[in-house]
Amino acid sequence: MRVNLQPSYILHTRPYRDSSVVLEIFTAQHGRLAVVVRGVRRKSRGGSSGALLQPFNPLLLSFSGRAEMKNLNAVEAAAPAIALRGERLFSGLYINELLIRLLHRHDACPQLFARYGQTLQVLSGQAAVDATLRRFELTLLHELGYHLELRVDGHSGELIRPDGWYRFQPGAGLVACCDEARAPHTAGFAGADLLAMAGGEFGGALSLTARRLLRQALAVHLGEAPLRSRDLFGAGRAAVARGEPAPQAAPAAQSVSATGAKP
Amino acid sequence: MKFSPALQHLVDALRCLPGVGPKSAQRMTLHLLERDRDGARALALALNEAAARIRHCSACRNFTELDICEICSDERRDSATVCVVETPADVLAIEQSGGYRGLYFVLMGHLSPIDGIGPAEIGLETFYQRVIDEGIREVILATNPTVEGEATAYYLIDMLQPHGVGLSRIAHGVPLGGELEYVDGSTLAHALSGRRRVE
Repeated sequence: MRVNLQPSYILHTRPYRDSSVVLEIFTAQHGRLAVVVRGVRRKSRGGSSGALLQPFNPLLLSFSGRAEMKNLNAVEAAAPAIALRGERLFSGLYINELLIRLLHRHDACPQLFARYGQTLQVLSGQAAVDATLRRFELTLLHELGYHLELRVDGHSGELIRPDGWYRFQPGAGLVACCDEARAPHTAGFAGADLLAMAGGEFGGALSLTARRLLRQALAVHLGEAPLRSRDLFGAGRAAVARGEPAPQAAPAAQSVSATGAKP
Repeated sequence: MKFSPALQHLVDALRCLPGVGPKSAQRMTLHLLERDRDGARALALALNEAAARIRHCSACRNFTELDICEICSDERRDSATVCVVETPADVLAIEQSGGYRGLYFVLMGHLSPIDGIGPAEIGLETFYQRVIDEGIREVILATNPTVEGEATAYYLIDMLQPHGVGLSRIAHGVPLGGELEYVDGSTLAHALSGRRRVE
């Protein structure tokens, strides 16, 4: 297999042998792949490609090989490098961790690739990132084959009522709560909120609700191991400073804290 | 043909070194046994002693046989300045440059959530305590200019800024003796955005 100038992003790099690195890349037409770059960490071999081969940079990669791991033949910058700063850098690491954990190798997701590029653009700017991260998570679920339906009750098949209360049930989606009076206290979701999210509204007052819903929806696929990049945000950091384990294992319903841009 | 058990054991043991495959391990083994028995004994002793005695300095986490390493216990050094680096090799590199007289903190890695390395694994909790307890005035962030190194630096900035500690990041830019034409775009952009007014 030989692929030339494939639009790609690097999700992760890890050192390999004395001077090589293995890149985990996300490409437009071939999905997630592993490629090895030989000699890139050796100064004398010159190459300024080390600076180029960093996560988040839009790249054109040429690679070849028959085995599972491809060899990188050439690298070019597709656009100026994207520099993420502060919390936004952590958000970038978060979406990379999501892709590595959830995306299967060699599974092409052009729609998700486009969304990933847009998400990075927003992260590199000044605008609020919450809504963008939620849209990315929804696209990811959709491309994985677990589309999250926000307009239809997963059990009855009826449309979601704005005045109803719903809860997320793995495998079924959003289902009506049996006990509507207690729903607001038991981590339910208001129908009006869900319909607003279906209309692409994730910001402002909805951001905490949307984060809680997407956390529950993603947790089903992430399994037991927690997402480590969540440790980097507000609450996890405070815990480390106090010398406690990060509040990672907290059940989804309790983890709705009021800290800024935590995904 | 099969090697004797002890010989095969040595070949397998040597393979724990990075970049040493079965063939290299076999070559090393045969060399040690045939041409350099004394070297082999010295190597065994050195390995044994190192594995038994070397641990982390309780102040800077660098490797040492002592409780507090030589650099940390040196009275002539400026104990109010701490330089945060990723590996012991970085300490050596900065020491060889000869231009730094403060202390160090060695993370032994960088934040990398995908590899499961969080703030606790690189000792940031210990470092936080040390900065607060010892009244450190300046922290120099000398993590690598990679995405993970930057993430580590930002994490430290966020953690320490509320405590009024002076924070600085080492400069990134054009190497000495380099030519602008051959420097890559992102390094050059960094060099320009971090430019200094000539006094």
